[in-house]
Amino acid sequence: MDSQKVDMYLMANAKFFQSSQIPFIRERLLAMDESKWAYIQAVDLKDPTTLIIVSVLAGGFGIDRFLIGDTGLGVAKLLTCGGLGIWTIVDWFLIMDLTKQKNIEKLNAYL
Amino acid sequence: MTRNRLYLLLGFGLFAGYVWLTWSWLQTENHQTFTPCLFKNTTGIACPSCGSTRSVLLLSHGNFRDALLLNPLGIIMGLIILIAPFWLLYDIAFKKDTIYTSYHKAENFIKIKWVAITLIILVLINWAWNIQKGL
Repeated sequence: MDSQKVDMYLMANAKFFQSSQIPFIRERLLAMDESKWAYIQAVDLKDPTTLIIVSVLAGGFGIDRFLIGDTGLGVAKLLTCGGLGIWTIVDWFLIMDLTKQKNIEKLNAYL
Repeated sequence: MTRNRLYLLLGFGLFAGYVWLTWSWLQTENHQTFTPCLFKNTTGIACPSCGSTRSVLLLSHGNFRDALLLNPLGIIMGLIILIAPFWLLYDIAFKKDTIYTSYHKAENFIKIKWVAITLIILVLINWAWNIQKGL
């Protein structure tokens, strides 16, 4: 794919991925066929900043876990009152990296 | 999530659950009240799963009706905490992945739109009931 297009995509979407993943994504995007561009743009990426806000406000109910697609863990978190409050606090620190991980997994389906 | 990670999490969760139950059982013997619930401690209002520990404790004394009236979620949790250890041991002993496949099936089932909506409404009703009971 066109390098200008790839760099533009990365500039706009860098916050969705871990910085260590950016070179890998760039490499794969450059090697990719132009026809997949529409799919890449349509991938539903979650914003880590939104998730940390949700986690702080509604983490006790597991809403953050539901949002990133971990439905089973979300139910567990909801039923146990946020893992007796401990899991909630642990997730405040984990949720941003988890979101970025989920984003790269979603993108990986097309790379 | 891989199979081993899920089993590790489940094992740790069950262990923590039993430790918590034993501790709160000892606490009720001494007539003390303490809640780790962040939501209840900050707002003073009960959260959707408030009272489930008391419900499971009532269930362990065979008091099914009171447990159901206190918080129906306690019944579900009581069943999980009773069955899951044996299921986990079975899977580990025979090197199978029945929990893992059932977990994924359950996850996909919950993600169906109308199932999700029904469950959300049920949890909200239960929450309203919790607040009304003043747990």
